[in-house]
Amino acid sequence: MFGYITPDKPELKIREFEVFRGYYCGVCKSIAKQAGHRSRAILSYDTAFLALLMDSLRDEPIAGKQDRCFIHPLKKRFMVTRNPSIEYASDINILLAYYNLKDKWQDERNLLGPVGMAVLRRGFKRVKRKYPTLIHDIENELALLDKLEQQKCGYIDEASEPFARIMQKVFELRGKDDATKAAMGWIGYNLGKWIYLLDAYDDIEDNIKNGAYNPLVVQFHYGGEEELKSFRQRIREETEFSLVYSLSEMEKAFSLLEIKKNRGILENIVYRGLLMRTRNVLEIGAGCNEKSV
Amino acid sequence: MRNPYEVLGLKEGASAEEIKKAYRELVKKYHPDRYMDNPLSDLAEEKLREVNEAYDYLMKNGGGGYQQQRSYHQQQRSYRQQHSQQQSQQRQQQQQQQQRQNTGYGYAGDNQMYYQIRMMIQNGNLAQAQQLLDSIQNRDAQWNYLQGLVFLRRGWYDRANVLLQKAVYMDPNNMEYNDTLSRVSNQYRGYQHNPQFYRGGYNREPDMCQICGTLWCADSLCECCGGDLIGCC
Repeated sequence: MFGYITPDKPELKIREFEVFRGYYCGVCKSIAKQAGHRSRAILSYDTAFLALLMDSLRDEPIAGKQDRCFIHPLKKRFMVTRNPSIEYASDINILLAYYNLKDKWQDERNLLGPVGMAVLRRGFKRVKRKYPTLIHDIENELALLDKLEQQKCGYIDEASEPFARIMQKVFELRGKDDATKAAMGWIGYNLGKWIYLLDAYDDIEDNIKNGAYNPLVVQFHYGGEEELKSFRQRIREETEFSLVYSLSEMEKAFSLLEIKKNRGILENIVYRGLLMRTRNVLEIGAGCNEKSV
Repeated sequence: MRNPYEVLGLKEGASAEEIKKAYRELVKKYHPDRYMDNPLSDLAEEKLREVNEAYDYLMKNGGGGYQQQRSYHQQQRSYRQQHSQQQSQQRQQQQQQQQRQNTGYGYAGDNQMYYQIRMMIQNGNLAQAQQLLDSIQNRDAQWNYLQGLVFLRRGWYDRANVLLQKAVYMDPNNMEYNDTLSRVSNQYRGYQHNPQFYRGGYNREPDMCQICGTLWCADSLCECCGGDLIGCC
């Protein structure tokens, strides 16, 4: 997960912001409970969004309390208490972070990989037992992704498919009926595609320097002599089309969900936050990833 | 039946005005045109039916202003009927046009195939449609169009866009291809310019402070070089 899914903060009400942060803290606490305190570092906004969205489909009012945590010991904050949505989102966070670290080690020999994996191992084993079919699907898709990367796949659609499908499976798994599953799945699919492509655009420079695979570089034939800046400019329009069209499809699926609470925050993310993020990444040098709320 | 107020996203006892407004917005939201190329079109249809039922119910049992609402509602309904009639007529025309075209030129075998592919796409049977498309050798405008539709439905937007453009390029006078292509670009632009995003915002335009600051800097720089931008300071 990459932490691209965030609200457009200045447009949130203060109460809404606190609730959003409450979900974020809730997922963080749940990760700590499942995999130990050191694992909190893997916390991502994307899974906070997953927890928020899933919980918003449930009838119960938000349950939470003002509490301290040892990362921010000075001030009490609102935290959503552990519930099935938060637990699921934190499990997903652990799973995907573990696979991401594994990939880092295998592809780049990045030492962060084995270190992180050692920290996460216990939690990962515990979580793995809970979702046998999901794990099976994720591993299949990751194997496919690996194959596509090795073949240097020249279509951004094809290259982004495995990750999109992983997110589809993740989002649809806990839907309460077929309609919810279908809508959640389509949200996941399109968000997954968007995340993968946005990350690819963000990484163009690094990937070209290291000679690593990047679907945009292959599809749009980066020549080598071309200035990076002009290459990014050249492919911007087409990349933007795929990114924004994915978001527009995601919005349609979102419209079909029965949202029971947190509508303001969700709509902020769906209609503003994601577009804002897209624009920031597309504009050169403005990919300012906020670190933590 | 679910609580009709809940279906329309209203509090119980909402006024007739509020009901109408909510109804209009929801009809726009779940309109079949909006879900034409989306795999969730059945769900949207279901939602629209629910909304219509809820509206019917509330208008029947609405109490005050009943007459007026009723007539408005009938207008709406006749509009809807007209609209759907128009749509089905359009579709028929399109199909006829298609058939005429198909009998005009091309291979008879392919035409049969294209018809099947269209049905499969309509029923959401994308894997089979893809198989048939792969088996066709002669890749004319229609092939590109249908392949584009399949890609659009399954989420391969980049390639869908390229193929639809190609179809329009190969057969510029075909209304169906043109319509689909403009629908796609409208959806793209529609989301990007959605009112929630475009209602103005916090970090969009430079504010007064930034403008003044910039002018002041520009003035100072000019003065350093011996010139002057703003005479009074």
